Amino acid sequence: MWALPAPTDAPAPLLFDSAFLAKLEQLHLLAKKLFRGEHRAERRSRQIGSSLEFADYRNYSWGDEPRTIDWAVYARLDRLFVKLFEQERDLDVHFLVDASASMRWSATEKGPQRKLQQSCHIAAALAYVALANLDRVNIAWFDETLREDTGLTRGKSQFHAVLDYLRRPPEVAVKTALAPSLKAFSQRLKRRGLVFVLSDFLDPTGYEEGLNLLRHHHFEVHAVQVLDPAELAPSLSGDLRLTECETGEAYEVTATDALVRDYRDAIAKWLEELEQFCLRRGIGYAQATTEVPFEDLVLRVLRDGVMLK
Amino acid sequence: MMWLQPWAAWFLAGLPLIVLLYLLKVRRRPAVVSTLIFWQKVVQEHRRRALFQRLRSLLSLLLHLLIFALIVAALARPTFDRFVHDGTSTVLVVDIRARMNAVEPDGATRFAKAIQAALLQTRDASATRQFALLTIGPEPAVLLPFTGNERTLRETLEKLQPTEAAGAAEPAFALANDLLATRRGERRTMVFTDRKEAAPEGIIFQTVGSARDNAAIVRFAARPLPASPSTSEVFLEVRNFSDQPLKANLELRYDEKLLDVKPLALEANGKQTLVFPSLPRPGANARGQFTATLDHADALASDNIARLWLPPPRPVRVLLISSGNVFLEKALSADPAVSYEVLAPEVWNAALAAKFDVVLFDAFVPAPLPPANSFFLQRTPFNAEGAAALEQPVLTGIDSTHPILRLLDFNQTTILRAFPLTLPPPTPEWTYAAPLRAFEQALLVVGERRSNPPQRIAALGLDLTATDLPLRVAFPLLITNTVHWLAGTANEATAGLRAGEILPLAEGEKIASDQQPAITGQFQPLRNGFYPLVRGGRSAWVAVNTFAEAEADLRGAAVSAAPAVPVAALKLPAVVGNLTTWPLWRYLALGALALFTLEWSLFHRRRTE
Repeated sequence: MWALPAPTDAPAPLLFDSAFLAKLEQLHLLAKKLFRGEHRAERRSRQIGSSLEFADYRNYSWGDEPRTIDWAVYARLDRLFVKLFEQERDLDVHFLVDASASMRWSATEKGPQRKLQQSCHIAAALAYVALANLDRVNIAWFDETLREDTGLTRGKSQFHAVLDYLRRPPEVAVKTALAPSLKAFSQRLKRRGLVFVLSDFLDPTGYEEGLNLLRHHHFEVHAVQVLDPAELAPSLSGDLRLTECETGEAYEVTATDALVRDYRDAIAKWLEELEQFCLRRGIGYAQATTEVPFEDLVLRVLRDGVMLK
Repeated sequence: MMWLQPWAAWFLAGLPLIVLLYLLKVRRRPAVVSTLIFWQKVVQEHRRRALFQRLRSLLSLLLHLLIFALIVAALARPTFDRFVHDGTSTVLVVDIRARMNAVEPDGATRFAKAIQAALLQTRDASATRQFALLTIGPEPAVLLPFTGNERTLRETLEKLQPTEAAGAAEPAFALANDLLATRRGERRTMVFTDRKEAAPEGIIFQTVGSARDNAAIVRFAARPLPASPSTSEVFLEVRNFSDQPLKANLELRYDEKLLDVKPLALEANGKQTLVFPSLPRPGANARGQFTATLDHADALASDNIARLWLPPPRPVRVLLISSGNVFLEKALSADPAVSYEVLAPEVWNAALAAKFDVVLFDAFVPAPLPPANSFFLQRTPFNAEGAAALEQPVLTGIDSTHPILRLLDFNQTTILRAFPLTLPPPTPEWTYAAPLRAFEQALLVVGERRSNPPQRIAALGLDLTATDLPLRVAFPLLITNTVHWLAGTANEATAGLRAGEILPLAEGEKIASDQQPAITGQFQPLRNGFYPLVRGGRSAWVAVNTFAEAEADLRGAAVSAAPAVPVAALKLPAVVGNLTTWPLWRYLALGALALFTLEWSLFHRRRTE
């Protein structure tokens, strides 16, 4: 196993100002599917309950609460009908954050781990939205395997626990293995819900198997891809000995203008394929580069990506 | 096509080095990336174009080789033959004679001004405008043949130094004419001097300096007095090259010790001759350097000092081989310039002769004869065998011009008996003479061998007991003359050397000083002063002076009316700034620069976006 030397810069603290949090409280995580919740909350469910949201009418039968009889309908039709209201339940929201070596890579030697920081910021912001809506939040690191998660927590008071977890990524950076990690996740949980996968998706074995696995286990999946601009448009040139940060594998390259141009085309094509893959399978997709301020990212990009409303 | 600096071709030996550098493995810059997925993918696609990459590398190598070759070619300074032959040829003649040392009112010497004017001319030197450098000095000299290299011309001119010698300008003009005779195209001669002189038509004079007053010592000689070798007589002449009278002091020094000071009062354009009749000469350890200094500040300082070398007297060492001869000992004692020792014939040893200048054999002939200056009396190697002694010979042949018989008077001398001598025939080594004869019989035979130093021999066939010669004044004079002639000492005035004159040096002679390597063969001093001369293991000095009235008279100088601008620029059409007149090496250098830019753009330019 090859690991990058630990950067000198520790991850920047996750800071949110109150104005931004207030904006987040106005948002809701979108879920196309209706999941069975355990607790009453603010999210609609298939269950009939006692919320203010009207659901349907049905014929009165013995034992029904007389308060539920719609007397206006009885006056018009001379028949007893009972008003049914929706039961609002909570939603399990899972955040799987990639902590592999590639997420800690920086274009400059010993530079800040911008990709990992950006991922943590996004996960924290979305988690706050979920907690503010009384949804249950679970966060887990993954790299070549799934790490210990926070467990499902509920309520805004748990936001500090979420932040505390995100401040402590695994100490040793290893390679990315999406499929085993996501498989372990789907096997670990029985109750389905929303899953946000925050990663660069730079897995040599591919991202398809892992995402398909989640989908087949009836999770609603959102893929948030975090990349560094230097990965999209490298400024390398000349005779180079490239070393991959995850495996330590070396590769000799003479970076000419044409080669770098082809590299850009290749990575653009790969991004297009990832987006199309997600689109065809109903997976939410958003791309976030580290140069975009994460407030803009959350308030604009992710809303455009149909993850928030 | 000609190469002005063909030595630059040696740089071509560096070509294999460039190829070697290309054969070396490329040193790659390390870089860490997040993934190799895309790099590997695109590189695999690019491998299809590997042949093109190799060609690209080969192109880079070829460009480097071409750049290198262009730089080497530029260094070699190529030019077309027609440019060299059909261009302008100018001979710059710089006057380096003594008067160019004269200081002008602004503090600069005429020579410095002349060099500045010459440097101005060489600025436009090129393959089409070539210059040669000549000097007017004691004899004309070619400093630099025709060249278009401005740097070489400048460095040669800057290294040039004026002399303190006189000389004529005509030979330099003739030499310049000879140099130009082989050149095609426009030709000219420019002379940088202080005055215009008679010259062939067409020669351009660029004169520097102004008319200045000057006083100079133009003659200086000394000689020991014959009657008193330890006393010298000094003669000198001072001239005033000015329209104003001059008053000054003249100081005479011997070995830098002041001997005498005489006031001088010279009329305008006048001269004064001074004689110091009886100056004592110091002892044997002195250097013998006379210096006369005119205590007067004028434009040319070098002719205010005159130098002369007069060797201090050195006693002649004589070895007398005799059984006892009071006349001889008295005669030798009478000469203060002679020291002698007496030795009996029985203890004679030939090795002793090396320690003495003269060996005097009284009635004794050693066998073999010593290789020394020898004087035989009564019994000599030249005694005619079997010949009877001459009774009362009459001296009929007296060569009084011979140094031995100088000032001798034999009229009152009576000779009862003499021994006739045989005059040997001359040999390739020896020459003989008989300056004293009695009719056909030689009574005195002298011989001299051509060697360095020369060996001399004298033989007198007189029996001192059978003549009243020892009682005459002539006897000590005869002995003194003979001893000094044999020893090679002469009471003649010593003359110095004029700057620029050539002094032939005999075998074994050399000019040796601490500042420069020893000079043998011939010596041509260009600066005044005393030069050490080593002669047969003994030290002497050569005094060098200018002593030229033409150099001391500074009134003929006149600033040239010609403008101080390059003649080439005056004569040739204005071509400065025209690319077609550029030398070829500039085009080559520009081509190398262009290729270098191209190579950098193609292979090394870094993206900044």
